[in-house]
Amino acid sequence: MAETKHVEVDLEDIEKICEEFENREGAVVQVLQKVQEKYGYVPGEALELVGEVLEIPKSKMYGVLTFYSQFYQEPRGKFILKVCVGTACHVRGAGLLVDKVREELHIEPGENTEDMLFTLEPVACLGSCALAPMAMVSGTAYGKLSADKMVSLIRQLEEETVHEEETV
Amino acid sequence: MAKVTINGIEVDVDPSMTILKAAEKAGIPVPTFCYHPRMDPAGSCRICAVELEDSKKVVMSCVTPVADGMRVLTESPKIHEARKTNLELLLLHHPLDCPVCDCGGECPLQNMSFAYGATESRFESHRNDEPEDMKSDVLVFNANRCILCGKCVRICDEVQDVHAIGFINRGFDTIIGPPLGKKLDCEFCGDCLEVCPTGAITDHFVRYKYRPWQLEKQQTTCSYCPSGCQMFVETENEAIVRVTSQEGVGPNEGSICVVGRFGFNHVQIPERFDTPYMRSLHRLVPSSWEEVLPEIASGLNAIRKKGVDRIAGLISTRVPMEDAYVFQSFFRKILHSNMIDTGARYSFMNAALPIVAATGTLRPLVDHEDILKAKVILVVGADPVSESNITGLFVKRAARKERSRLYVVDSEAISLSSRAKDHIRVLPGGEQIFLEVLSEEIRQSGNLGAEWISRKEELFKNWNVDPSAYQRLLADLRSCETGIIVAGRKLFQLETPVAGVESLLKITGDLGWIDRPGCGLFVLPEASNDLGVLMMGASHEWLPGLMDSRDPASRGRWEETWGSRLAYGPGGGLEEILKGIDEGKINALISLGENPIGHFPPGSRVREILSKLDMIVSIDMFQNELSDMAHFVLPASSAYERSGHLVSAEGFVQAIKPTMAYWGESLPDWQILDRLSHAMGSPMGVDSAESVMSEILRFLPDLAPSSRNGSHFVGGTGEIRLATPVASADGCAYGEMVHEGNGLSTKFVSPAHKANRESVSSRYAQWREGIKEEPASPYRSIAGEGEFVLELTKSLFHSGKMTLMDSNLKKIQPEGKLRINRQTARKRKIKKGERVSLRTAYGVCSFIVEPSPAVSEFELTFPVHFANAEVLALFAPGLDFSSGTGAPVTHRIRVSLDSQNAN
Ligand code: SF4
Ligand code: SF4
Ligand code: SF4
Ligand code: FES
Ligand code: FES
Repeated sequence: MAETKHVEVDLEDIEKICEEFENREGAVVQVLQKVQEKYGYVPGEALELVGEVLEIPKSKMYGVLTFYSQFYQEPRGKFILKVCVGTACHVRGAGLLVDKVREELHIEPGENTEDMLFTLEPVACLGSCALAPMAMVSGTAYGKLSADKMVSLIRQLEEETVHEEETV
Repeated sequence: MAKVTINGIEVDVDPSMTILKAAEKAGIPVPTFCYHPRMDPAGSCRICAVELEDSKKVVMSCVTPVADGMRVLTESPKIHEARKTNLELLLLHHPLDCPVCDCGGECPLQNMSFAYGATESRFESHRNDEPEDMKSDVLVFNANRCILCGKCVRICDEVQDVHAIGFINRGFDTIIGPPLGKKLDCEFCGDCLEVCPTGAITDHFVRYKYRPWQLEKQQTTCSYCPSGCQMFVETENEAIVRVTSQEGVGPNEGSICVVGRFGFNHVQIPERFDTPYMRSLHRLVPSSWEEVLPEIASGLNAIRKKGVDRIAGLISTRVPMEDAYVFQSFFRKILHSNMIDTGARYSFMNAALPIVAATGTLRPLVDHEDILKAKVILVVGADPVSESNITGLFVKRAARKERSRLYVVDSEAISLSSRAKDHIRVLPGGEQIFLEVLSEEIRQSGNLGAEWISRKEELFKNWNVDPSAYQRLLADLRSCETGIIVAGRKLFQLETPVAGVESLLKITGDLGWIDRPGCGLFVLPEASNDLGVLMMGASHEWLPGLMDSRDPASRGRWEETWGSRLAYGPGGGLEEILKGIDEGKINALISLGENPIGHFPPGSRVREILSKLDMIVSIDMFQNELSDMAHFVLPASSAYERSGHLVSAEGFVQAIKPTMAYWGESLPDWQILDRLSHAMGSPMGVDSAESVMSEILRFLPDLAPSSRNGSHFVGGTGEIRLATPVASADGCAYGEMVHEGNGLSTKFVSPAHKANRESVSSRYAQWREGIKEEPASPYRSIAGEGEFVLELTKSLFHSGKMTLMDSNLKKIQPEGKLRINRQTARKRKIKKGERVSLRTAYGVCSFIVEPSPAVSEFELTFPVHFANAEVLALFAPGLDFSSGTGAPVTHRIRVSLDSQNAN
């Protein structure tokens, strides 16, 4: 996996976000959500700055950040491949899907591809067990997957990106 | 009052008390893991479960308040099962590596599991195998052994107010550690290490080096700063392995700072002098006591014959009272000299002289407990956290938990500033002007002329004083029931420090605080025993008991006591000593742990002057500039080897105890001087430190040993117990038992440690009458455009220069860095770790920079411990002494800064 490059954090942006919530200590979770919306994850520097503005010690900020699984500490790929590894999907071969992604993209669960296009994220039950094995990418659910279908999904997403870039 | 029955024993308790506290009052121990007497209860470990007899309910005793008529069982089959189950849950993830765990043998978890037979876990789960967090050079976090009681996090938050560690992740994955996967960046007090009931936190210095039960443990008093911490030095084969504290023991109540906890290693390194040395042909050669003592004695005898005040003496203020007492009597009785001075001359004397003049005592009117109760606290020119750490902890606690209003007046942001209602950030040096104005306004109480007011406004503008914050402080001081002013090192080192301290004394008097309990001035001495050494008469001004050495009546009193005529001359301090040597009127110098050369800029001629001496005797632990030019070097024992007493900032007289054998041939100072007196044919006949103390107490009975413990401590299996008696583990008692009422309750009463208000009051009234009211001093120099004021500050991680020899503390702070305001650094494109050079009219010196938001844009600070000759070369050479107190004035200077890359 590639060394992830962190974004530059601007103090003014952080101050603006904090101000939206009147610099309230109690709004720390909402503030971090906004920060994540802006950067795609919560950069360490941003966390420290939010702490300074809201006057919350770093250690407590980090506690909040790591308590909620919704927050990410590392930049993440454009497409998050949420592969379900819940019980139903598991018995129907979710493991094979995960293995296929690892093999195809050379990333481990939780990692990003070098081009920052994909992140592999095994998740617990996605709630559509009838369609197991399941995966979800950018809000779209893909059911009854097989290793091959997984690969073509990846190819499709790659192509879409190339197209987008060309049209831009 | 609520009546509660615990295991059949009836107790009357305050209804706000928890069951745990009530049980403790009934003398019944209850095991705890997450409860801690100095922190808010968390109620998370569930090991303190007790049963309510009537409802048969199991409740957590540490968080459940009592109710009238409540009947409680602390042991029952139900409780036993509940505790056992809880232990099993805790042990679920525990690695059971007790045989290699540093905690093994003193582990409440281990003890409890043994007691409840919970050695096998019935639950199936994975054992944690989180790798240890080894990033810090000081503490190691082993998440696997952690039972998530949260005490480490809470002590860091609630007691230290540092907030360096926290809970990370959640559920089964929760671990404890510093944020963002970075290395621990904190004050390294080690309190988290101390409170951790398991081996989840260990320290790098002693990991795997010991098994707790093999260590010998000795309670003693820390000899670094004036907080007077009670600590436990643990040794194996005469070597110190670690230093610990014990919850509730001592005025520090179980907290000790980084220096006390980790700074023990320098006393056991080969660099220490372990034998006497004698100069022969420009070289110091190892010798023996038998050889050197007669040599020194005959030299001293010859010089003594020439007349009075021919031999000068300097003594460090880290030595016990006993040694200081013997020092001054050796000089005054045997050597006929009053040319004696102490290490307090460099700074604390600027406070001690006016304070003694005004109050007649060096003991404070208030102590740390009063700080907790004070409604208003003003900290001026002091950084309590680094100067007297425990004082700092109490001020923090007062501001955070007791809601007292804290004001800080300082050019720099100190760690207390964030807790202050107002931090009045004056320009560097403005602290003094501020106090002068404040004192005048309080004195005049409203009758101020328009001219004065406009002058005040101008001064405030020039010195950056926020007038509205000043008004708030003034109003609070005037109206508060109880108020305390804390002053320290920075104030004592301003240009005319006596004026600053006198302003403080006037303020306290004019506010009516001298007669009002709970109010007063609390000054921070610089070293552990500034107070004790001065009280023993080790400076030329005073005989023991702070009696005027030049007053015939006082002199007569001690002549009577000692049964001999005191043939000393008028004498003098450091200034007169250097002058006398220069003029050939002083021919010998005996220095006990002092090195004047290191205090003055290199061009100050101090070395040249000292080289005129016929004899220099340096009694010390390590080589330094003075020992390099000494004719005799005698090895001194350290505070970890000797016995005696120290007087803390609160006025407690506490014992230091030997924790290991004398290093090599070294001896305590009193013994070296006694042996010298024998060799000179005028024996003092001192038997032991104990006999010196009894002589002191015969004439100064108010210096009887005294101390204070916290109200609770934590027992071996985690249960909380009352800790009122002020006696140490080895039975050294600070006071006596007093039986009360029905004889059931006994109380331990420690002798008074604070000054007596009545005697202070009458003395003060006289002083106040006599003191002239002078208008606030004229406008003094501040940094010009592009210039800064360079100030040498005390670091939290070092104490004096000796700790630079300590490998543990050197690891924590290996070098001195120049702190510069963060914005200024950014503006001038200076990055952390870069080198810059500072220039003054006298010299140039290069520094590594550390940008910090704490220093103001007008100043630069550098830790004084690292101020070697190169750094001191920036300061004006010369021997400049303050006219009132004889203290050298060389602490601050205007500098200009060049970025290295710029030229
Ligand atoms: S050593 Fe002290 S300051 Fe550092 S984390 Fe532990 S309790 Fe906090
Ligand atoms: S590290 Fe120790 S003190 Fe901290 S939560 Fe874990 S067991 Fe408790
Ligand atoms: S240096 Fe001061 S605060 Fe630290 S342990 Fe020693 S006496 Fe206590
Ligand atoms: S287990 Fe995969 S969707 Fe439910
Ligand atoms: S729950 Fe009471 S001591 Fe932990």
